[in-house]
Amino acid sequence: MPTAIVAVHDLRKRYGSLQAVDGVSFEIAEGEVFGILGPNGAGKTTTLEMIEGMRPIDSGTAVVDGIDVTADPRGVKARIGIQLQASSFFDELNLVELLELFGHLYDREVDAAALLADVELGDKARSQVRTLSGGQKQRFSIASALVNEPRVLFLDEPTTGLDPQARHHLWGLVRRIRERGQTVVLTTHYMEEAEELCDRVAIMDGGLIVALDTPQRLVDVLLGRGFTKARVERLANLEDVFLDLTGHDLREEG
Amino acid sequence: MRPFGIRLGMFWALFVASVLMFVRNRAAVFFSLFLPLIIMLIFGVLNFEGTTTIGLGLVDEARNGASEGLIDGLAAFEYIEPTTGSREEQLANLEAGDLDFVLVIPSGFDPLPGQVTGLVAYASTADPGQAQIRQGLLQQAVGTALFAPTGTPPGGAFGAPPVSFESVQSRDLGYIDFLVPGIVGMTVMQLGLFGVAFGFVHLKRTGALRRLFATPTSPAYFLGAQVASRLIICVVQVAILLGIGIWFGLQMFGDYLTLGVIVLLAAIIFLAIGFAIAGWAKNEDQAAPVANLISLPMMFLSGVFFPRDAMPDFLANITQFMPLTYVNEALRAVVNHGANLASLGPQLLGMGAWAVITFLIAIRLFKWE
Repeated sequence: MPTAIVAVHDLRKRYGSLQAVDGVSFEIAEGEVFGILGPNGAGKTTTLEMIEGMRPIDSGTAVVDGIDVTADPRGVKARIGIQLQASSFFDELNLVELLELFGHLYDREVDAAALLADVELGDKARSQVRTLSGGQKQRFSIASALVNEPRVLFLDEPTTGLDPQARHHLWGLVRRIRERGQTVVLTTHYMEEAEELCDRVAIMDGGLIVALDTPQRLVDVLLGRGFTKARVERLANLEDVFLDLTGHDLREEG
Repeated sequence: MRPFGIRLGMFWALFVASVLMFVRNRAAVFFSLFLPLIIMLIFGVLNFEGTTTIGLGLVDEARNGASEGLIDGLAAFEYIEPTTGSREEQLANLEAGDLDFVLVIPSGFDPLPGQVTGLVAYASTADPGQAQIRQGLLQQAVGTALFAPTGTPPGGAFGAPPVSFESVQSRDLGYIDFLVPGIVGMTVMQLGLFGVAFGFVHLKRTGALRRLFATPTSPAYFLGAQVASRLIICVVQVAILLGIGIWFGLQMFGDYLTLGVIVLLAAIIFLAIGFAIAGWAKNEDQAAPVANLISLPMMFLSGVFFPRDAMPDFLANITQFMPLTYVNEALRAVVNHGANLASLGPQLLGMGAWAVITFLIAIRLFKWE
């Protein structure tokens, strides 16, 4: 790997008796779209938030763009963009005012109109967030995470709860961000999304990474073990890999 | 610009956002500005003036049995509210509009029926419409107190009135003069308690606060901007209330700078309570009852609408230590009597103590998530 913009080593986090993240290590190359997959409670969001400086790290290290998160969480936050799983904004401000406010929080003037045009919300400049649809909210949330031209953009389940159209729309946006050379780290429940967007994926379960590779190679490995689908249409897709590794049972968020 | 390492642009942006969020929030504007205005107008129209009690300042220069008998006798009248003090103090109170009469009992006081008593009452020029009635009531009370025990009819054997009157130019303080400072105190309390608690808890519950801290900003900037914006809004509100009050006939005897200091100190106390509630509560449903539990007793027992003199003693003794009581006393001293900070020692001490207590509680209870 040429240059690792995110380097995570043996990251751990415990909540009471629950070991949410139990020794996670990986590196992400600059310009990569990196996916973290896993069922609810696998530790995806906790891992992401520790890298972002949003949650204290129990042990292990996370280095983003050369900066250790534990030593300088604000330094990391200044270089990254964060879309939280449940993002909410100040109700009384319109989209332009919010983006300008966020710009000032990074000590910079922003071209709010250009940012909104970027996420196809140019015509909503004077609207308030609460009047937007689910897909528009997520796109605005991404625009707000782009105000500081981040080196790494973190998206936590960006398409959860969106209809297929809105989801595909958002995929287009992520691809454009990638084409500009920005690194993207995202979590998702949707295997199709990971196959569409991610250069590499880490599959987490029980606080551990159980597999890490390109989507194609993960599928190849599974097929190499003699896996066949009951009804063969395609030989296998990433969803099969995922379920093979993490089990078929429905899991509810604990 | 970063004087002392403070990022002014970041602070200013958060400050402006904080002001905009308040001004555009209809509920916040209604409860913190229009509601006090409406209450002020309603109570102003009702106008609780024209009470028949007499504020009587007694100056005992005789200090003998007769003067003590007179003072005890006068205290027995329900419509007389007596206070004792030196001639200078009492005359100052009279001029300030706090008293209706100052009755001076001359040295060597020894009243006999039919002879001149030597009693002189200085009468307030305020409220001339009631002056005749009050003078009559006082004559009757003094006559009864002096001679009723001996069976001699009031007025003495020759019908000479026992008290002679002298007018003293006094401030004519109406109900509006009492009401407006109280409403100002109440508004500052409401703004601190409700203006912060609900907005902040909402930001906390929805995750907007968390989104803010996904940027490199520090909580200190956000809190600083919130406090600064509320203080500015508070000053503007007080200015509006005073302006309308003056239009309705409020007399401002103090200076605005002193008033501003009192208002800011009061705002700090109630903002600290507001932040303590906001920092502790997980959602609006938790914040509302606590905020009401704190504000309602003060609204009715700290002398916002009615003088606290009317309360039973035990209640007055307890409620004199409430933060809003100190605030209202200080505001009235400035507005009605032109007090300066040096003469407001007890009130400033009380407010200062509350500021420290509430600030410590806020720090202890505050949680970001």
